[in-house]
Amino acid sequence: MEELDPTQYYNNRLASLASLPTSPYSQMFRVSMTFDHYREKFKGLSNGERLAETTVSLAGRVMSKRASGSKLVFYSLESAEGTIQAVSDARSLVGGNFAAVHANIKRGDVVGVSGNPGMSNRGELSIFVKEIILLAPCLYMLPKGGKNRDEQATWRPGKPRNPNAYVLKEQETRYRLRFLDIIVNPEVKFVLETAHSAVNYIRSFLDQRGFREVETAILNSKAGGAAARPFNTHHDASEMDMSLRIAPELQLKQLLVAGYNGVYEVDKQFRNEGMDLTHNPEFTTCEFYSAYSDYHDLMTMTEELLSGLVKKITGGYTVSYHSNGYDSPPVEIDFTPPFRRIEMVNGLEDTMGIELPKDLASEEANEFLKKTCEARGVYCAPPLTTSRLLDKLVGHYLEETCVNPAFIIDHPLIMSPLAKQHRSKPGLTERFELFVNKHELVNAYTELNNPVEQRDRFVQQLKDRQGGDDEAMVLDEDFVKAMEYGLPPCAGWGMGIDRLVMLLTDSLNIKEVLLCPAMKPPEAVPPPNEKGTPQA
Amino acid sequence: MRGLGIEPYAYSWNRTHKATQLQEKYADLPAGGVADSDEDRVSVAGRIFARRAFGKLAFLGIRDDSASIQLYCDKAKLESFTQLKSTVDIGDIVGATGTLKRTEKGELSVYVDNLVILTKSILPLPEKWHGLTDIEKRYRQRYLDMIMNPEVAGVFRARAKVVSAIRRFVEDLGFLEIETPILQGAAGGADARPFITHHNSLERDLFLRIATELHLKRMLVGGFERVYELGRIFRNEGISTRHNPEFTSIEIYQAYADYNDMMALAEELVTKCAEAIFGNAKLLYQGTEIALERPWRRASMQSLVQEATGIDFSAFGSDLSAAKSAALSALSPRKDESLQTVIANCATVGNVLNEVFEAVVEKTLIQPTFVTNHPVEVSPLAKAHRSFPGLVERFELYICGRELANAFSELTDPIEQRARFEAQIRAYNKQLEEAAAAARDRGESAVKQHKNDSYEVTLDEDFLTALEYGMPPTAGMGIGIDRLVMLLTDSPSIRDVIAFPVLKSQQ
Repeated sequence: MEELDPTQYYNNRLASLASLPTSPYSQMFRVSMTFDHYREKFKGLSNGERLAETTVSLAGRVMSKRASGSKLVFYSLESAEGTIQAVSDARSLVGGNFAAVHANIKRGDVVGVSGNPGMSNRGELSIFVKEIILLAPCLYMLPKGGKNRDEQATWRPGKPRNPNAYVLKEQETRYRLRFLDIIVNPEVKFVLETAHSAVNYIRSFLDQRGFREVETAILNSKAGGAAARPFNTHHDASEMDMSLRIAPELQLKQLLVAGYNGVYEVDKQFRNEGMDLTHNPEFTTCEFYSAYSDYHDLMTMTEELLSGLVKKITGGYTVSYHSNGYDSPPVEIDFTPPFRRIEMVNGLEDTMGIELPKDLASEEANEFLKKTCEARGVYCAPPLTTSRLLDKLVGHYLEETCVNPAFIIDHPLIMSPLAKQHRSKPGLTERFELFVNKHELVNAYTELNNPVEQRDRFVQQLKDRQGGDDEAMVLDEDFVKAMEYGLPPCAGWGMGIDRLVMLLTDSLNIKEVLLCPAMKPPEAVPPPNEKGTPQA
Repeated sequence: MRGLGIEPYAYSWNRTHKATQLQEKYADLPAGGVADSDEDRVSVAGRIFARRAFGKLAFLGIRDDSASIQLYCDKAKLESFTQLKSTVDIGDIVGATGTLKRTEKGELSVYVDNLVILTKSILPLPEKWHGLTDIEKRYRQRYLDMIMNPEVAGVFRARAKVVSAIRRFVEDLGFLEIETPILQGAAGGADARPFITHHNSLERDLFLRIATELHLKRMLVGGFERVYELGRIFRNEGISTRHNPEFTSIEIYQAYADYNDMMALAEELVTKCAEAIFGNAKLLYQGTEIALERPWRRASMQSLVQEATGIDFSAFGSDLSAAKSAALSALSPRKDESLQTVIANCATVGNVLNEVFEAVVEKTLIQPTFVTNHPVEVSPLAKAHRSFPGLVERFELYICGRELANAFSELTDPIEQRARFEAQIRAYNKQLEEAAAAARDRGESAVKQHKNDSYEVTLDEDFLTALEYGMPPTAGMGIGIDRLVMLLTDSPSIRDVIAFPVLKSQQ
């Protein structure tokens, strides 16, 4: 087939549309039913049957156009609910010259058709066209080919996927022109819908348990509740520097002081950090806080929530995930409860065959860990605080073993400035992190609610900051003051939604599951050619 | 307290009932009656808001997030009575177990046999909450506001109900929620000053979104037919009873629909929310009764202005000076100089109409009114009206003199959209230049002020590319959630319905 220059195609199309008597952008088109409804209603027709007395209107994008002789044209129309064939024959078409009407409709255009429901002789449910109207032309050639569309349309969360097989695979183009990605790579629509299903499941799970959804501020005078570098901005009218929140934790806990017994928020957080396969500057989390509960309660809830969610969305407890790249076979991740539990300190000692110093806050412990890391070849970037050294060892020796969901529990107090000290293990806290596929998915603890101790912990964090750890938490006076009025015993929980969705959709890059991931400039990218490759 | 062997910060508490559950379950227990079988053993928790002690008896009123209930503490039944009498104060959070008893005065109580301090409050609750006299403090310490004023907690309960009713409503209609980015390379979809921030590792400035419109419409191009997003929007503007720099909106887009469909959707949605809170469609806002019976009044912007001023804007065509002089003479009794200047500076007849509407009509629209068919010059994203040249298929919904919703048949033609954007940017830059010139005349500080006040408006090329791929005929609508909640909770200020409003930093 002759190769057409995309710019030339665009110009030709514009010129031919300009010669039409009316605007090619229709004012309005009313569909009489959705594709699902249409299929449901007319699936019982027999081959060759056609309901001449019934007229319906459907609309969608033309994904293929095929002429058979000069008097018959077949279109494949695609909507949010899949594909339906439209068949136009010269005899049935009303209004306009058959050849002229169809000459104006190209692959990629959005069209409305009205006509009779019927079954083709080969048994394909179709609409036999009486009228076909251009609703919005597509001025570019749509990329064509790649993994079979029908096959893509049957993909569901939990199944393996391979974006490298898409016709449009160049990431810059896919992520910047996400709408095009969705048009030509049908799987992407299901991937994006998975986030919606997951969030809906979580909302109803928490609503049923009496939690209330709240909205805490995104713009704050300071950013607390986590250890991360914030985005800064300026509010002109009040001449005030502000930061985008890095976590909603401190405000959500204030609402427990206010009298809420259970609150949650599913929304964006912002961290001014580098981007990699699992980090985007803005990302979605769910945090919830439950009064009178502790971290044991929340481990049970986590098992119920995640296993239930995976079951609901994928139909089973296991998901396929290409942990080692799309070229290697996928691993199976099993969400069947209960999840394995690993005590952090004991786990490290057992796995490494060492004995950690009892007082982890001491200078000796810091020295010991420095030496251990060095001896074992585990690299830690400075500053070499005990907390950071421990984190590295845990990453290396424990997290690596957590492919199926596993709780790492009872973190040392020095690593957890907002968690309550363990009721029976000195120096440790009542905390857990859930790891899946070696990545942290959930972080939760029995909340520290003693304001005196909370202030001491912030002071310790301040020392770490002064020691060069600029990710240590800053003291939030308003938060400590709220705590002085009495924060009920409670446990709090946070999960990264995007990471969960990555697991459910076999996505190796967080950008795959975000509608518009952060990208480097330039802002606009040129449309790709028919083969899906970017233009020079 | 630790000296007395009491841990002031407990780890957890196993609660069996909230206060309302007990009030319902034991509604039939008569005054003076007791319910003390094994099945009547309950456990409750909450913050103490009232405390009375007489010798061997003490009464504690506690409140959880459902309601309040009394704890009946009898020395004969409660071992730790003496100790607790000296350590338990108003403001403390306690857990109690016991059976049920209704006092002679008719107060349902838990007849306590075990009482534990769960969290000791080390700051005393204020004797009297400042309320209206210190509004700033109320917002700054919202938790105290909620502890002291149960009706404040009620406002936020209502807010949660409204948000959840809206989500349920649109989801049942098949709309899918999409999360569009908050940090963007170009802030479009509205005419507002954006917040600017900087991403260190990308080494680029980013804007906080001022609307979700342009990204949601891309999804319609992608093939989704019904999408919405309920989320935060940011505008770097002043704070007032109607404005907070961050606020919540819902934007809804439906393919193969037009602005008439959106009017029906708006009526339905607002009514559903009112029902979720009141159980009926009547509401009272700041003393005025608002009738939500449908259909709501529909009137074009031109006809409303004509009704109020006698000026027929449709007669002017493109005669700008005629429109201006008619407007200026109609507004002259108001003696509002800044308004006169604004009118005199209007670039088109449509802008004049819009200014007169905002000055004269807006505040008078108390009962729900769809103001329709705006001039194209003030509606860069709306489709031209099918019957009235120069106007667009758009409406704004007004209730209580405030804009609550804005909707239109979406412009789908990329060529026209580009022309509209370019005209908008030209008009904006011209305004900027004029303001800059005026500032230069006033001196250095005015120039500096002008620089601070101005911001760049850019064209979203990717959005135009999306339209070039073809967007089906679509209608879209945005609704301000905070303003809707204000209306439904009879709250005079937007800060009454935002849990953590933006406040000036403390001295």
